[in-house]
Amino acid sequence: MKKKLVSVILSVTMIATLLVGCGTKTADAGDTTTTTEKAETTEAADTAESTENVSADPADYKVVMIVKQSDSWFDDMATGIDQLKKDTGLNVSVQVPETGDAASQISIMEDLIAQDVDAICVVPNDPNALVPTIQKARDAGIVVVTHEAPGTADSVDLDIEAFVNESFGQLFAENLAKAMDGKGKYAGFVGGLTMETHMAWYEAAVKYLEENYPDMENVATEPYEDGNSVEGAHDKALEVLKAYPDIAGFFDCSAQGGGICEALQENDLAGTVKVVSLALPSMSSTYLKDGSMSHGLCWRPADAGYAACYAAYLIASGQGVETGTDLKATGYDSVELEGNIGYGNAPLEFTADNIDDYNF
Amino acid sequence: MTKKIDQFQKMLLIIIVIYSVFVSVKNPQFLQVQTVFDIVKTSSTTMIVAIGLLVVMISGGIDVSFMAIALFGSYTSLLVMINTGINSLVFAFALSMLIGTCLGLVNALLINWLKLPPFIITLGTQNLFHGIMTTFISDKSFGSGVLPSCLHEFGQGTLFKVATENGSAGLTVSLIPVLLAGIATYFVLRKTMIGRGIVAIGNDEESARRAGFNPFKIRLFVYAYSGALAGMMGIIYAAQVNALYPNKMVGDELMVVAAVVIGGTKITGGQGKIFGAVLGVLIIYLLNSTLILIGLSSSWNNLFVGAILVIAVAVTSYQERVKNRSHLIFTE
Repeated sequence: MKKKLVSVILSVTMIATLLVGCGTKTADAGDTTTTTEKAETTEAADTAESTENVSADPADYKVVMIVKQSDSWFDDMATGIDQLKKDTGLNVSVQVPETGDAASQISIMEDLIAQDVDAICVVPNDPNALVPTIQKARDAGIVVVTHEAPGTADSVDLDIEAFVNESFGQLFAENLAKAMDGKGKYAGFVGGLTMETHMAWYEAAVKYLEENYPDMENVATEPYEDGNSVEGAHDKALEVLKAYPDIAGFFDCSAQGGGICEALQENDLAGTVKVVSLALPSMSSTYLKDGSMSHGLCWRPADAGYAACYAAYLIASGQGVETGTDLKATGYDSVELEGNIGYGNAPLEFTADNIDDYNF
Repeated sequence: MTKKIDQFQKMLLIIIVIYSVFVSVKNPQFLQVQTVFDIVKTSSTTMIVAIGLLVVMISGGIDVSFMAIALFGSYTSLLVMINTGINSLVFAFALSMLIGTCLGLVNALLINWLKLPPFIITLGTQNLFHGIMTTFISDKSFGSGVLPSCLHEFGQGTLFKVATENGSAGLTVSLIPVLLAGIATYFVLRKTMIGRGIVAIGNDEESARRAGFNPFKIRLFVYAYSGALAGMMGIIYAAQVNALYPNKMVGDELMVVAAVVIGGTKITGGQGKIFGAVLGVLIIYLLNSTLILIGLSSSWNNLFVGAILVIAVAVTSYQERVKNRSHLIFTE
């Protein structure tokens, strides 16, 4: 008797959950159609003016952005994509993998291929691991646009970069050299050795320092991995401090320089040992202000996401992207196309003085 | 803590000593007080959950949801604090541990009611808890600027400091919660009837029942206790990294399971020592944090830790076989 009662209750709850689940979904869909309808009319007028291709109504295209993981960087990217949705009525959404690895991105892509979306934008955790799935998507007629993956640009329709990676790496080097007065030992961190852009910046920075600042010495031949976590950066920084007590500077190509600053503060070295890091205002402003981080470098994730998704729409609708195309986001108003890579010109530099101007 | 150090622990101590000697020969920088302080600090969070897991494993169960509980508890309580402006460490710990206890009770109730292996249940609840949190509470990340300031003070706090060559090194205050957890657990396991019951149902549930223990009540206690420690660990973790992410910690539970098993805890229950679990955690952190000192690049990290884990487990299992043979127990 009791068992029966329990099973009845269970099935009722399950059915209820199902119904509730469906209910919200349909409500959502209703919402989006109404908003897109509104935007449609304005946008239709826009496109009619700017291009000859009148049939390219953004609301007819479903674009999905797959980010690396859930953190404030990609939260900001999502706000940019929301903005794009509001501006153009493009049917665009964001998918956030539970864990920051290639496997979860692949499974999301497989789902999207099955749903037959028009375009997929992805910020790959491990670009090479995604290539077979990207190929599968393109075989199915889906446009694929990547961000932060210039090495696999040949396998996709377009790769959007905020800037030429070499020059961004040199920006790290130049800022670090300035902070360290051009002399002393330094160490470089990346999120992971497979992370292409991190590695490109690291290599460009090290090469630049070797050529221009002979008094500066890299303590290792390979960058240290912080695993894209503050904890990782903190623990690795403590180790480096111990192994090389005379170290004078760190640069971190993943946005976890805060972990290094925490480690320095624990050892009363904040400000003595310089830190230049990829930085998000929300995660790094305290460190820039208390002086433990001398420089933060960045690009606006919201703009990059905006530009990548807009480019995906342009390609999917047959309008294409070429040198000089305006992707409507700050710094991407005239992209530089080299092969399959579209470069913007959008680096951001943070110091204690300007950090409050940004709120992402 | 233990009157006589058993074979496993002796083995672990020998491994730690040999490895430390090896590292100090390769790089004398290893031999300084800061090394100890750093390892204490970085391993403090893992120590706490390892002790919680130890209690569960002694009772014959297993819990792989504790990281999700730690995340749920700390994320939720810190979110409440950010939104209401409460700036009290006591509040953070109390709320987080309360949430942890409740989630632990959910585990125990499910295990007792469904009569399924605890591994399956907690694997399920791990995803369930994390999913509930990211879906219904929030999945935003928070940086150091918006977190309550008491958290950062705690994370950076030291019991005392010593000067080093180029700065100073301090012993973290996170050691206090670790010691509290260790002492409380020792007291519960050794000095209370419930502790005896935990060991008893770990050895044989039926015998324990006939001896008058109530396995259900003991299980409730065990999982709630593990949950409370997880909640406590979550706050310490957030304080140390000084940031709040909705996706950290979850995924690291097997490393803790490995540490506890290396510490000589029987996976089938009934046997395990706090000191062993502590040594197990220490070994993993020692390996993890000395690669740079001996000049190996990060690429070696996984290979090295994996190899030593297998060796450590093989050695401890060999030790047990020898011991069993000498007691004329032939298990294979």
